[in-house]
Amino acid sequence: MTAELKEPVYLEEKLKDIQDSGRLDFRSGSLPTWCPGCGYYSMTEGVTNSLNELGLKNENVVCVSGIGCASRFPFFVDVYGFHTLHGRTLPVATGIKTANDDLTVVVVGGDGDGFAIGGGHIPHAAKRNVDITYLLFDNGIYGLTKGQTSPTSSMGFKTSTTPYENREQPLKPLMMVLSYGASWVGQAYAGHQHHLAGMIKKAIAHRGFSYLHILSPCVTFDKTDMTYQNMNMAVRPLPEDHDSSDQMAAMIEAGKTDAPGLGVLFEEIRPTLSDNLDAIATSAGADIKAKTAQAAE
Amino acid sequence: MTINGTDLQIAFCGSAGDGTIAVGDILKQAMAMAGYRVIAFDQYPAEIRGFGKCVSRTRVTGEQVYSMKQQTDILVSLDDSHAIPHASEVRDFGAVIYDNAPMSLMMEGEHISGHLQPGQIPYALPIREISERATGSNRGRNMVALGFVAGLYGLQQDVFHTIIARKFKTKPAAVTKDNTAAFDAGFDLGAGEFLFDEVSIGAPPAKAKHEARMLSGNSAVVEGCLDAGIEAYFGYPITPATTIMERLVTEMPKRGKRALQTEDEISAIAATIGAGYAGVRSATATSGPGLALMAEMLGLSVMAEVPSVIFVSQRGGPSTGMPTKTEQSDLNLAVFGGSGDAQRIVLAPTNVEGCWRCAGKAFEMAERYQTPVIVLLDLYLSNRYETVIVSPDERFEASSSKAMVPAKSGEKYQRFAKTDDGISPRAIPGQAGGIHTVTGLEHNDLGRPSDQANIHMDMSEKRHNKLSKAVDHPGITITKRFGDEGDVEVGILAWGSTFGESLEAMMLARDEGIKCAAMKVVMMSPLPEQPISEFMDSANEVLLPELNYEGQFAGIVSGTLGRPVNRLNMVPGTPMRVDDILNEIRRLAGREAKDAA
Repeated sequence: MTAELKEPVYLEEKLKDIQDSGRLDFRSGSLPTWCPGCGYYSMTEGVTNSLNELGLKNENVVCVSGIGCASRFPFFVDVYGFHTLHGRTLPVATGIKTANDDLTVVVVGGDGDGFAIGGGHIPHAAKRNVDITYLLFDNGIYGLTKGQTSPTSSMGFKTSTTPYENREQPLKPLMMVLSYGASWVGQAYAGHQHHLAGMIKKAIAHRGFSYLHILSPCVTFDKTDMTYQNMNMAVRPLPEDHDSSDQMAAMIEAGKTDAPGLGVLFEEIRPTLSDNLDAIATSAGADIKAKTAQAAE
Repeated sequence: MTINGTDLQIAFCGSAGDGTIAVGDILKQAMAMAGYRVIAFDQYPAEIRGFGKCVSRTRVTGEQVYSMKQQTDILVSLDDSHAIPHASEVRDFGAVIYDNAPMSLMMEGEHISGHLQPGQIPYALPIREISERATGSNRGRNMVALGFVAGLYGLQQDVFHTIIARKFKTKPAAVTKDNTAAFDAGFDLGAGEFLFDEVSIGAPPAKAKHEARMLSGNSAVVEGCLDAGIEAYFGYPITPATTIMERLVTEMPKRGKRALQTEDEISAIAATIGAGYAGVRSATATSGPGLALMAEMLGLSVMAEVPSVIFVSQRGGPSTGMPTKTEQSDLNLAVFGGSGDAQRIVLAPTNVEGCWRCAGKAFEMAERYQTPVIVLLDLYLSNRYETVIVSPDERFEASSSKAMVPAKSGEKYQRFAKTDDGISPRAIPGQAGGIHTVTGLEHNDLGRPSDQANIHMDMSEKRHNKLSKAVDHPGITITKRFGDEGDVEVGILAWGSTFGESLEAMMLARDEGIKCAAMKVVMMSPLPEQPISEFMDSANEVLLPELNYEGQFAGIVSGTLGRPVNRLNMVPGTPMRVDDILNEIRRLAGREAKDAA
């Protein structure tokens, strides 16, 4: 026996450590309902940790979800939540942020919610640079409705709605979002939990529209294609010399969907929707400073 | 119907580009400034350029009226090809004013002089020549004609000068000068003519206690929004609602408020609901096709109990239909549109002042009852102008929300707690102790998803019960009876803009000795069953005129109350004619119908 002897770990002590760290402050009492092994567990951990580390108050955060496996997410975090309709997360989030700049708004959704039914909203949230964070879980399938094809399903993939095979070319969300003008674009992988958590924190911290593409295998309805085994082989970190201020360089990386590069593809600082609305109000003669001061009181 | 000595309806008729709508605008502004009550409705073509027909009608009265007249007192032709079909609308001894030397060569029968009826008084003027002499251009023809009308009927010249200067204040000074010169040349000519008409304009009524504002239905909606403290607006352009958005995106930033054009109607209402959830007064405006897109979101607003305000100006349907024509065929969509049992509040104002009041009250109600509120206008009401006089004491509640009561320690805040009135105290994001998630799924008191039988039954009841209190909401008339009291031969039940023509027809029927009353219904959902039922009890026959093919409100009234009504439905794309309603009243009262005059 060559194994080293380790100090015994007592559950109570471990739990106390975790509680003291504040890591659970953003967890609600409800237990998640996802399948064991689902990437959403990593996201929950990543989001709750990030909110904690960014020092935000629970009541100043709003989580918005649509329909899909992500839709129950707001119930599992201890913040304000709006579980909206299929594909309509971004306009609802735009309304919330426009009404109250002090709120931190995090939108979660899947590839179907975002790029099928809700595909018309992403360009506009991106071009307006609404100061919200969009966490998109791409599993290339409709999981909640038990395994139908999605806009990012690969060619030849067989699902219950493409029983012979999917003959449509999958969308390339990262290239789309870059061309829409998102001011922060990144990619992460549910299998690399710590990297994912760090990326979520960066995405939330960014001032403007941040889009995080999260590759997240569906362990229940995809046994052949985008599995953890396959993805573990495919993903790679972005090259060290990748210049995240270079939109064209980001575009080239975004196109490499066979070997997805993880990290921040692109970031820029430009006025947000609220900045622009305030500028419009100022040029129309309103005293925005007085309004802000009033709100602060 | 002559009221207080003054009741004059003036129609300008011309091609797009003749300045028809512009002179109509000056006329109504001037008459309102002089102290008269004005109601005006313009019709113009869907095309931006070309030779489409423009008609601008203005009715000037001493007291408030609720509709246009069927007959015109003065018709001004700026383009005979468009004016000829309207020549028969001019009453006996009414004036028809036209150019005796038209702009272009005409074939026989193309000049309006050949279409006048005996009894109508023609005024053939060298309109183009006068314009050229006064301004060096034929572009002042419309102002010459307006000046002639003003001179002929003795209207106040100085008021027109003020309005002309105001209208062109952003243009070079020469524009005001030329338009004034053209007006004055016409005025002098008119003042020197003999007025055959026995109807002359009386002195303006005693000055109103409060400021009179000249507003269209859509601009009254905007004023209502601003007066109610709207914080956020999201919209997508669509005729005939676009002017609401155009005015709000101009006015709201001046007050530090936010207005945004979204990518479609779905996002417009989604953002409206998002802002409502975040606790501010928010609204959107659209027409029937946009409302159809919004229907799913209305259900979310109902289920998640989030306030939202939606202004809908109806046009001809279905589908793209007739975008520049009026109709009342989106009532079913407004009242029932969406999935599931999703009752909401629907208000339908009957005149421009009502647009202002319903707009403001919609925010109060949405907040108070935590529900979507639809304010249903139609193109006729959106685009028509009226003088509106509202007491400055009439104000909207700045906040009508039932706010969260902080939970006792250890207790979890229940967003959908059961209460006596069905309204649960509401927390908004940013408030400590109020954290909750709202959802389009059926849910329990805490807002947690649930599909248990008892929860769905209780929550369905809660959502419907809370709205039943809306019929008693203070400061808004949801039904009102006019005309004869007690039992009547015919009772007219009317809603929206058609109420104006119904009221006019009812009064004419009473002049003919028919016992008659009319009730306006402003709250279409939830239906004020009791007053409608009582009204129907008092009438031998109930007539329900509306501008749709299927009789949508008649269906709601009959279906809800289980009693029949006599339907009068038509879809001409224009307001209902008073004579059509009057003939139906005569028929129901057993009198003989008469030909339209």
